[in-house]
Amino acid sequence: MLIFGNLAFAAPWVLAALASLPVLLWLMRVTPPTPKRIDFPAIRLLFGLQSPEETPAKTPLWLLLLRALVATLIILALANPILNPGARLDGLGTVVLVVDDGWASADRWEPRRDTMLNLLARADREGRAVALLTTAPPPDGSPLRISGLMTANEAREEVQALQPKPWPVDRLAAAAAVRGADIDRPAEVYWLTDGILTPGEGATDDPSARELAAALQRLGTLHVLSDGPGDLSMSLSSPRIEGSDLRFTVRRASAASANIVWVRASAERGQLLSRQPVEFAPGTMAADFALDLPSELRNRVVRVELEAQRSAAAVSLLDERWRRRPVGLVSGESVDRDQPLLSGLYYVERALAPYADLRHSTISQVLERDLSVLVLADVGRLVGSDKTKLDEWVSDGGVLIRFAGPRTAQETDDLMPTRLRRGERNLGGAMTWTEPAKLAPFPQIGPFAALSISPDVRVNRQVLAEPTLDIGEKTWAKLEDGTPLVTGARYGDGWVVLFHTTANADWSDLPLSGLFVDMLRSLVRLSQGVDVQGNRVSLPPLALLDGFGRLGEPSPAAQPIASDEVETTRPGPRHPPGYYGVDEARQAFNLGGALGPLAAISGLPSSVSFEAFNESRERNLMPWLLTVALLLALTELVASFVLRGLFRGGVGVATASAIVLAVLGVAHPHSAEAQTPTQFSPPITTPAQIGDAYALNAALQTRLAFVVTGNADVDKLSEAGLLGLTRVLAARTSVEGGAPVGVDIERNEIAFFPLLYWPMTGGERPLSDQALAKVDAYMKTGGTILFDTRDAPDGGFGGTGRGTLALRTLLSQLDIPPLIPVPEGHVLTQAFYLMQDFPGRYAGGRVWVVQHGGGINDGVSTIVIGANDWAAAWALDADGWPLATVDNGDERQREMAFRFGINLVMYVLTGNYKADQVHLPAIIERLGQ
Amino acid sequence: MADPAVRQRAEELASTLPPLLVAAERVAMTVAQGVHGRRRVGPGESFWQYRRYEQGDAATVIDWRQSAKSDRLFVRQQEWEAAQSVWLWRDNSPSMHYRSGFTPSKIDRATLLLVALAALLIRGGERIALLGEERLPGSGRAALARVAATLVARAKADGPSGSLPPAEQLPRFSSLILIGDFLSPIEEIEPVIRGYAARGITGHLLQVLDPAEEDLPFTGRTEFEGVEGEGRLVVSRVEGLRDSYLKRLADRRANLKQLTRAAGWTFSTHRTDRPAQVPLLLLYELLSTGEG
Repeated sequence: MLIFGNLAFAAPWVLAALASLPVLLWLMRVTPPTPKRIDFPAIRLLFGLQSPEETPAKTPLWLLLLRALVATLIILALANPILNPGARLDGLGTVVLVVDDGWASADRWEPRRDTMLNLLARADREGRAVALLTTAPPPDGSPLRISGLMTANEAREEVQALQPKPWPVDRLAAAAAVRGADIDRPAEVYWLTDGILTPGEGATDDPSARELAAALQRLGTLHVLSDGPGDLSMSLSSPRIEGSDLRFTVRRASAASANIVWVRASAERGQLLSRQPVEFAPGTMAADFALDLPSELRNRVVRVELEAQRSAAAVSLLDERWRRRPVGLVSGESVDRDQPLLSGLYYVERALAPYADLRHSTISQVLERDLSVLVLADVGRLVGSDKTKLDEWVSDGGVLIRFAGPRTAQETDDLMPTRLRRGERNLGGAMTWTEPAKLAPFPQIGPFAALSISPDVRVNRQVLAEPTLDIGEKTWAKLEDGTPLVTGARYGDGWVVLFHTTANADWSDLPLSGLFVDMLRSLVRLSQGVDVQGNRVSLPPLALLDGFGRLGEPSPAAQPIASDEVETTRPGPRHPPGYYGVDEARQAFNLGGALGPLAAISGLPSSVSFEAFNESRERNLMPWLLTVALLLALTELVASFVLRGLFRGGVGVATASAIVLAVLGVAHPHSAEAQTPTQFSPPITTPAQIGDAYALNAALQTRLAFVVTGNADVDKLSEAGLLGLTRVLAARTSVEGGAPVGVDIERNEIAFFPLLYWPMTGGERPLSDQALAKVDAYMKTGGTILFDTRDAPDGGFGGTGRGTLALRTLLSQLDIPPLIPVPEGHVLTQAFYLMQDFPGRYAGGRVWVVQHGGGINDGVSTIVIGANDWAAAWALDADGWPLATVDNGDERQREMAFRFGINLVMYVLTGNYKADQVHLPAIIERLGQ
Repeated sequence: MADPAVRQRAEELASTLPPLLVAAERVAMTVAQGVHGRRRVGPGESFWQYRRYEQGDAATVIDWRQSAKSDRLFVRQQEWEAAQSVWLWRDNSPSMHYRSGFTPSKIDRATLLLVALAALLIRGGERIALLGEERLPGSGRAALARVAATLVARAKADGPSGSLPPAEQLPRFSSLILIGDFLSPIEEIEPVIRGYAARGITGHLLQVLDPAEEDLPFTGRTEFEGVEGEGRLVVSRVEGLRDSYLKRLADRRANLKQLTRAAGWTFSTHRTDRPAQVPLLLLYELLSTGEG
């Protein structure tokens, strides 16, 4: 081993090969480069020519240097260079690695792993046997045990697979395991500790660390590797509800740690809701803080964590217990959606919506699910099973809030805090002398004691309580004259509260004031939250934290927790922290809260040597050097190719960069592996997807379409004709359509096409009703059909040709507006080209259009009928040669046919735009004036 | 190059010149009814002149209406309308596909020139045919389109014709346009030209070369390889050979010129980095003045 500073060569003798480099260079220098090869047609003229001078060609110097560099790199790589080599291990005996792999190691796990790997690399070089002991109980629940002797390489695999556990270490068990181990003495013992003790609430001393150290010292020399006191892990307690706040405690093991830590609160799916600092008073080990969030957001928090810490104890999961309370709303009146402001529950709903989970329904339905608070607006008398269930629910701890109203004034039941007089009291009405009453200040008893009244609230009507002895205790709010406005009383474990006025603005304007919101919130706070599972059940693990505080699938060894033991169970291999229960009602089980106060390890024997973690890991440079050498060799290859003229210009550069990129891709296989494997399910084609494919194909590009007649010749000509027209359109106009589509009028959807070419063969079968409906809808929603009877020699449309007869049969079934021959000045005659007649294969046949386009379909005729067999004139083969001759062999007629096609497509696509263009001169003239 | 693209570019090129009427002194022998008048009496459809009836004229040729206006008999004569036939040929050998740098390949340029010329001829009402096509000369845009399509198709597949025009029996006194690189040995070219010239056919040779072939711009150690199986040659310093190469090329051109002049033909050269209008104008001049 040859060492220069922090670089060492494990196989230094290979370096001797460097001496051979000059010889290699000289050899390359004298060999002339390969000539460039050039294909040259005029080579005959070169034969026999003599060059006046001959100087030997040489390889350029820079290329030689490049090659020398490649050779040097390869030699250096083979010498096995190592960056940051560790010193020799002390002693000669077995190396015992003891690692604290509990939650407290997770935050700085990489330095620990690197240190272990460095130690193992050194042990490997010296051929020492290795034993490994982890101090956290294994996940499978088996007892702690020191491993048998391994080679360093075997140990490396174990160390690389080692992960911090989301539970505390058990050093007493580890000490016992060490005492029972059979290891040759003296050994070299390296203890990678997390430096943290959890003495438990109230205890002042924890001897476990000292005991383990003592046990280890008996094996041989003990080296303790630890984080500095400033780097020790911290923990975050479970949430507590104090008043309206959600409070947490952050604990640290050493006063040397940072005084300010940042706390993050996030919602489901990791959405960050808040980030706030928490400050430790100097010298203290714990800091309390309340989550500083509006209630709406607070209810969405599912996870609170220390930002700079990465461990299971730095994460506090929240569940329903800390969420908003479910409140049921039941109204006695029939629900009237049209006048929400008069609705009995409108104001209650508005007041509570931000703070509670509201459920509207009937009493029996609302009570089927867990409920904290139930609001009844003017429900006069509860009867039957509703009464029984409600009674039971309130006795079990529910909070029932009732509002008075006309119905309550008539008759009530006994689920009331006090007995009421029948009838209501009217204040300030047209027939009374009294003024509407104001509120009196809140009495010192009851939940409203902390609130101050709103002076402008007026109460017009109320129901009155029968005066009883205890009415004063039950009155939580009253009017100026002393009559109770809100009364409340315990009922079993729960509460029954009555507002002596309505929940809407009929009887008072209390519901309009902000005070109403505060009063309702105070009442909701009376409730204890939902007891998720009333009776004892077993909660299976749902999602568990790993050592780094990440939620994941539960491990098979995790056991369910009984619902009433969640608070008392200590996290461990059988019960890792995380969520337990089922998705709808999960319970959070946190590690941080169970740990109690933290303390730093102290009082270890002075004979122990303390070391810090080795931050820089040993790195074998061989693969890197070889990669660089490979890249340079490829560069050299490309360069010499260029010199030989094998690449030209841009092609060369592109090829070279492609090669380099490909090599880079190969050289970093990890980047490819890092991608999560995606599972592809085999595509299943359904009829709907076929329909989608057809629709996408037809709709994504403007396409002309023709009706497939079943006559192969006609269909072929139609397709070729529309293809020819599409090409001519693309060449001359901005209409760049896709290949035309043949449609089966019975089966395919035609709504996608602006123009449908429909040749008549004479052999048409009558259309089905669906097809007729489709054609009718097509014409009424903007499509244009060009009917071509292809029988101009027989007199065209109006004559007696086969096509005409077939068309007549077809049209008789459709709703066709009156038709006229194309009049003079029709848009068809001037949409793109100016033309008066519209020849196709035949010339002279009349063309018919709808009489008034009118407002329908933008004024575009939905039907164009002619007999000139245009498709034949348009049909071009793949090379652009006409497929069919025109009538008299006059190519000009074919040109005119194309012009008609272009005019028609323009007419169909532009709607009334072209028609309006006619008026443009007049408009411009008017504008000019 | 696709067929329509060639045609379009060629027609753009040709549009700068008026329709080409091939000067045809010897039209008598390659008669074909054509659309443009020859400004002399002959078979045709448009009126040319009345002349006095002469002994021997058939009674049916007398224009009785004209004759009735005076005491004499008049014969109505039409203008002779005849078209010249021009055969076109382009070298289709592998060497024509050569291109150095960003110039068009020789075959592309030759095709363009030939189609442009054909367009001009067609607009002049002449008849054209491709050598080796074994079809009668045609007129009209269809013939132009056919010629262009055939040329493009031949440029893609290695067509039948090699680096020399085939010896074909053409009507006497037709015109022949040959475009190629004419890099074959002069001894092979000579009999072909002499053969055509002997039948009274006038011709024009246009040698199209790539700039690299004209200048030999290569340097350093280079291995040349012929594209038609001529063999290989390794040259250690090409720049040393340049002067002698240029001299050899000039000699060869002088030989070709000598050869064509002896046959009464013309010879011109063109390099692909120059605009195509130059040789087109030259050919236009040669054909319309009948110097060839």
